[in-house]
Amino acid sequence: MTETLLELKGLEVTFTTRRGTLKAVDDLSLTVKRGEILGIVGESGAGKSMTGAAIIGLIDPPGRVSNGEIWFEQQRVDKNPESMRGRQVSMVFQDPLTSLNPLRTVGDQLVETILAHMDVTKAEALQRARDGLTEVGIDPDRINAYPHAFSGGMRQRVVIALALATEPQLVIADEPTTALDVSVQAQVLDLLKKLCRERGTSVILITHDMGVIAQTSDRIAVMYAGRLAEIGETREVLTNPQHPYTQGLMASTPSVDAKSFGQELFQIPGAMPKLDALPSGCAFNPRCSQAHARCQTDRPPILADRAACWLMENAS
Amino acid sequence: MSFVVARDLSRTFNLSDPWIVRKLTMRPKRLLKAVDAVNFEIERGTTYALVGESGSGKSTIANMVVGLLAPSAGSITIDGQNLGDASMSRQEQQRLRRRIQMVFQSPYASLNPRWRVGDILSEPMRAFKLIDGATAQRKRVAQLLEQVGLSDSDASKFPHEFSGGQRQRISIARALASQPEVIICDEPTSALDVSVQAQVLNLLKSLQKEFGLTYLFITHDLAVVSTMANKIGVLNQGVLVEEQDTEDLFTTPREDYTKMLLSSAPKIDFDS
Repeated sequence: MTETLLELKGLEVTFTTRRGTLKAVDDLSLTVKRGEILGIVGESGAGKSMTGAAIIGLIDPPGRVSNGEIWFEQQRVDKNPESMRGRQVSMVFQDPLTSLNPLRTVGDQLVETILAHMDVTKAEALQRARDGLTEVGIDPDRINAYPHAFSGGMRQRVVIALALATEPQLVIADEPTTALDVSVQAQVLDLLKKLCRERGTSVILITHDMGVIAQTSDRIAVMYAGRLAEIGETREVLTNPQHPYTQGLMASTPSVDAKSFGQELFQIPGAMPKLDALPSGCAFNPRCSQAHARCQTDRPPILADRAACWLMENAS
Repeated sequence: MSFVVARDLSRTFNLSDPWIVRKLTMRPKRLLKAVDAVNFEIERGTTYALVGESGSGKSTIANMVVGLLAPSAGSITIDGQNLGDASMSRQEQQRLRRRIQMVFQSPYASLNPRWRVGDILSEPMRAFKLIDGATAQRKRVAQLLEQVGLSDSDASKFPHEFSGGQRQRISIARALASQPEVIICDEPTSALDVSVQAQVLNLLKSLQKEFGLTYLFITHDLAVVSTMANKIGVLNQGVLVEEQDTEDLFTTPREDYTKMLLSSAPKIDFDS
């Protein structure tokens, strides 16, 4: 049974600034099924981290969720995200150096998290903390070590143990491996994937790296300028991208197994528009080689459950 | 002889405690060998890439080649001239240094935020006394900006007015300002998005063709290297473990460490 765990309906995150109201996330609708790994890809400023922060209720003023609904397990949670934060939804941040408290042992931090969210005794919490460390491949006897005693990859393992300690149903991983070396990145991703598969935990994996997404996720959502550009099965989207932006992104990604060494990479002309100067119609139209008159005036919705592009209309 | 030659290049860092602490605690000196007897050669007009994980010593080598760090042992020769030759006069040294420039990793940290782009680009001309006169310098700045795909009106702006990719273009223009022959690129695109990375890599390539530049390319990303480099050296903990032409390295890696790096690089490949 593929049951829906999380549903975003027309989510909108806005920032009120001196230059007017900026939409960091604009009319985003998507679902995450139970046990599924959903990848959100996009470049800086695409709104992918904001989406993660909105779900868990961590958007700081002047930003706010100004429109739309977030449903978690058939309950609307956008009004009181604290009800599920930490317990049912947890987060893995990008930099393990800043997301752990340097003045407290990792055991302390694990026990604190467990006690804050679960109804267990201190001894049980300690046992859970040790089990958690074992699961992520860290010797439980290091429970009294401080974060600085661990390497970057090991620290990120501790963060994963923290995120899974309360047995959440959804883990939001925001660029979990960007600060790590490739060989360590592969280990950490495999670990995250394995643990979540074993427990049936859903994951939202936020990254800018197409390779990471390809190896880890079941479905992917491509974001551009705060909007959803394309969504679908990972394999489908990456091998047969429908949105011109996804096509450009794929073509401009250098690959290890490129058959064409030393050749020029495809490049998308221009740059992502600033949020205070979005073009009318489709946000991608000034950079799109296939744009036509309608793209400049009307904003395309997601067509054929796949891509927000008017070209989809002719195709179907 | 190749254009850039590194012979038995080594660099040790002294991480010891102060002398008095060492004597009191009876601890020996602690030395870290960041680069250990590395040899490589770069032909004129080609790109040599050094690949390795953090701590492998790749940036230390970059800093030594550009002259920001003196080697503990070994030598670097550029066009037959030894970079660390003590008998060279200051002027000779400066003339040699002009021919080697660097593009740094973070375009956010490597441009002075209080200087206008025009000043940033004309500084090398003033420092090396290449072009005299404000008008001539302005003309050259406009030319440089055009070469990297920006417009001459950008000269009066400050770095914060540009995006990451545009700032990296400014860094490249600054490196070009002294008409160098060798450019060291230390992770020039790791702070950039994929689509912007493609633009910057293509720009570096077309500039290489136009000016016959020689690149030493430092990166941890094998995918970037595959499109840029002619030859690749793989570094592990300060030691050059393998060196091959780009295509051969990707198709027939010899060392286990290289194989591990290749297999852990994320691939967009669904056939396997």
